[in-house]
Amino acid sequence: MKSGYNLNKITDWDEKAVVHILSRTVFGYTQQDIDFALSISLDEFVDNHLLASAPEPDPPFWVYDSSSDNSTERTRELTYWWYNQMIRQGYSFREKMVLFWHNHFVSEVDKVALPQRMYWQNKLFRGYVFGNMREMTKKVTIDPAMLIYLDGNKNRQGAPNENYARELMELFTMGIGNYTETDIQEVARALTGWRVDGVTSYFDEERFDDGEKTILGETGNFGYEDVVDIIFRQQATAKFLCRELYREFIYITPDENFVNQLADLLRQNDYELKPVLSALLKSTYFHSEEIRGAKIKNPVEFIIQVMRQFNVTTPDFNYMRQVAEQLEQKLFDPPNVSGWDGDKRWINTTTFPARNIFTDSVVEGEKPNGSELTFQINLVNYARTFPDSESAEALVDDVAKIFIQFPLSEKRRNYLLDTLLDGAEVYDWSTFDPQAENRLRLFFKVLMRLSEYQLS
Amino acid sequence: MDRRKFLRHLGILTGAGTVSMTLGDIPIKAFAHPLISANTVNGKVLVLVQLSGGNDGLNTVIPFQDSNYHNARPSIRISENDALRLSNTLGLHPSLNSFKELYDEGELAVVQNVGYPNPDRSHFRSTDIWLSASDSNDYVEDGWVGRFLAKAFPEPETFNTNHPMAIQIGASQSMLLQCTCQGQMGISFEDPNQFYQLINGSTADNDPPPNTIAGEQLRYIKQIAAQSIQYAQIIKDAADNVQNKVQYPNSSLGRQLAIVAELIAGGLETPVYLTSVGGFDTHSSQLNSHANLLQNLANSVSAFIQDLKLLGVADRVVVMTFSEFGRRVEQNGSAGTDHGTAAPLFVIGNNVKGGIVGKNPDLQNLDNNGDIVYEFDFRQVYATLLQDQLGMSADKMEDVLFKNFETLPLIAVKHAASGGPVSFSLYQNYPNPFNPATRIDYTLKIPQFIKLVVYDPTGAEVLTLDQGWKEAGSYSATFGDGRYPSGIYYCRLISGSYKQTIKMILLK
Repeated sequence: MKSGYNLNKITDWDEKAVVHILSRTVFGYTQQDIDFALSISLDEFVDNHLLASAPEPDPPFWVYDSSSDNSTERTRELTYWWYNQMIRQGYSFREKMVLFWHNHFVSEVDKVALPQRMYWQNKLFRGYVFGNMREMTKKVTIDPAMLIYLDGNKNRQGAPNENYARELMELFTMGIGNYTETDIQEVARALTGWRVDGVTSYFDEERFDDGEKTILGETGNFGYEDVVDIIFRQQATAKFLCRELYREFIYITPDENFVNQLADLLRQNDYELKPVLSALLKSTYFHSEEIRGAKIKNPVEFIIQVMRQFNVTTPDFNYMRQVAEQLEQKLFDPPNVSGWDGDKRWINTTTFPARNIFTDSVVEGEKPNGSELTFQINLVNYARTFPDSESAEALVDDVAKIFIQFPLSEKRRNYLLDTLLDGAEVYDWSTFDPQAENRLRLFFKVLMRLSEYQLS
Repeated sequence: MDRRKFLRHLGILTGAGTVSMTLGDIPIKAFAHPLISANTVNGKVLVLVQLSGGNDGLNTVIPFQDSNYHNARPSIRISENDALRLSNTLGLHPSLNSFKELYDEGELAVVQNVGYPNPDRSHFRSTDIWLSASDSNDYVEDGWVGRFLAKAFPEPETFNTNHPMAIQIGASQSMLLQCTCQGQMGISFEDPNQFYQLINGSTADNDPPPNTIAGEQLRYIKQIAAQSIQYAQIIKDAADNVQNKVQYPNSSLGRQLAIVAELIAGGLETPVYLTSVGGFDTHSSQLNSHANLLQNLANSVSAFIQDLKLLGVADRVVVMTFSEFGRRVEQNGSAGTDHGTAAPLFVIGNNVKGGIVGKNPDLQNLDNNGDIVYEFDFRQVYATLLQDQLGMSADKMEDVLFKNFETLPLIAVKHAASGGPVSFSLYQNYPNPFNPATRIDYTLKIPQFIKLVVYDPTGAEVLTLDQGWKEAGSYSATFGDGRYPSGIYYCRLISGSYKQTIKMILLK
């Protein structure tokens, strides 16, 4: 990777840059999306669209009550609700970032018990999505779901519970090696007193440890806000958070030089995330050739982008959830407090064929068991949304641009073309040919079965 | 009934859990572990036949002397004259004549009144209970077979990880083969050739990835793709190795079992298979439909047993039927029966201890819904098959079934670990150590499909010395021609999932 300062803005706002930025920030895109992005400037697109604040979606009606009825169904409903945000997000980076936060400040619905609480946590992430990371961390610390998930609600004077204190520093802010066991004990004391009632949390002064604590070298009668402030005064914190951003949005193995540049920027902006993301997305580093197609799509991204690529606005949520679980990503239920490992761990001999079967099923309009999906894609009509759909070569190139971010080799591209033509000559291709639908069906299946399709 | 709501898995899934879970880095060796234990002999197989919809147990195994039975079912009862008599009070449905033959040969056991406490009468929920082996009020996400394979498989060291640990013949994958600890323990497909073709379609990819970080990611994905393909090849090879020796009924179940027979006899080491047949939800006019369902079941399974015998692998295989529940004792208003509770199930095979286990259903003392109170917990049957057929040690039972259950006397010749049959012998090579060549002798007591392979200590295959269908007799093979380096080699004789291994030393 290039050394030196890499946060300089790219000079060419071209189709290649658009495709890369879209592939990393939204769940799938179309030719129309590319055209739109190119019709405005890079700054406009990033700052006024990707990172713009957007109205919050209405929640499911039941999020206000604290009954434990129908929790399994409600968790599913909440999953569908979130899928729907992802599909209808427009040109916003928000939902990918909410997913990032969900995988960062992890809670699991099983322990949290009420999906209502998962909703409120999700809303918290959405509210702070590009906001101030320090203030967000304070809110997360007293978030009802988190208080239950990491036993903060059991943490009280005389009977401290270190669960949250440890993970706060190890997984959420600084990373291991930047604090001592004593710091953990002292942080736990400072976090005492918080309890959960239904879907809200409250401070119970009687349970608060009202004594002096010494945390990371500072001494005082600290409470939870002080703890977070102290943590965010540590150099390690900005680096840790930027390393996480790097791993999610650039590549799985962080480049410390670039991470440090991002961390400096984050501190200069008092932990406001938006300017950092803005600089990152516009940077020569982010747009360097090596990064293109180097990220393995996570299952939710994989499943949602298929819908967006085909312009499916009313998808089969139930089926998508089943597939996502098969692909080992169940929203609101990460495997443990460190979240999904991601990257290569997404692809194994179970999930790879399952991904293929899923994309096949979308093309076929039916599930592997033969039952119909709730939507059907008209492939001929879809092909005709591309300007040069009557040219086989142009169609292959244009479709590949939407579906494949990895630089396709000439051999792969010819393989796709041969698949589409299915023995016919290139000048024989027409979407009006009676065989066009069958050919397109095979073509799209083969396209989405490419190993390259797993990469973004 | 429609199981969409509970459809958890789709289509073709590959993965021997142990391999896919240890995929930290590439490349992955053909064998997860070096071959260390010589003279391992196991190879028992369990074939499950799931009867979806809730089979009417009372009309399957009929208490023809019980007046309560006749009174409850005036228009759908099976008369004493029609029932195929198993005892003075009990008979099989007349469509089950091929089961009657197996019973007479001592190869079929009827386990009476199998169920569980607080029975659930929902198809979905009760199916999940049966597949997960959970209590009625526990919600478990994985299957008892998946947990067994992941946590209690008796020979994890020697299992050939080139072979799937479990196979479901069918389109969608059951939770049965899932373990939350390791994911899918099995694969599912409808037909070996179709499976091969489907996987095959996505392979023509030997395009080397570019030497970039993205190219590195692509290389990894291509390797995984290749691995999932590897099962398809091995399954196809096993199916191609042998031909069925009997005619099966031309039904889905018949075709499924025909495939299973070929895979077992063709050399696949997979210990558990799941097959299924639907339509047992007989709410109305059930006399004819139920007769057809049972006839298909009995004829398919007995063809399978007969085939296994002719293929020389019958000693290894036990079949168990199961259904999510039995049906209401009293017939309903439309000459059918509604959802019920406990019911009989069948355990079938050469090594099964034939007979009737348990009492006749007690039709005097029904539960509040008018359903039969269970006598045996279904997990007792599982426990029996896991221990006595598949060789699970008793101390693993809680890992798999959550608690301990008493086993039942169903298996006559228990798992090979406690002295099962051996149909071949592989002798120590001579000379040993050797240079440059050595001779390997083996004998087959019955005709069978064998493979004789040499591995290096990493488990990589060095050479296949012999492979194919062989008559009973003595054979020998030679290994070594001066080309191989000094070191330890293992020679393994494989027949189905039986295998025996010797250690050979080449000293130059």
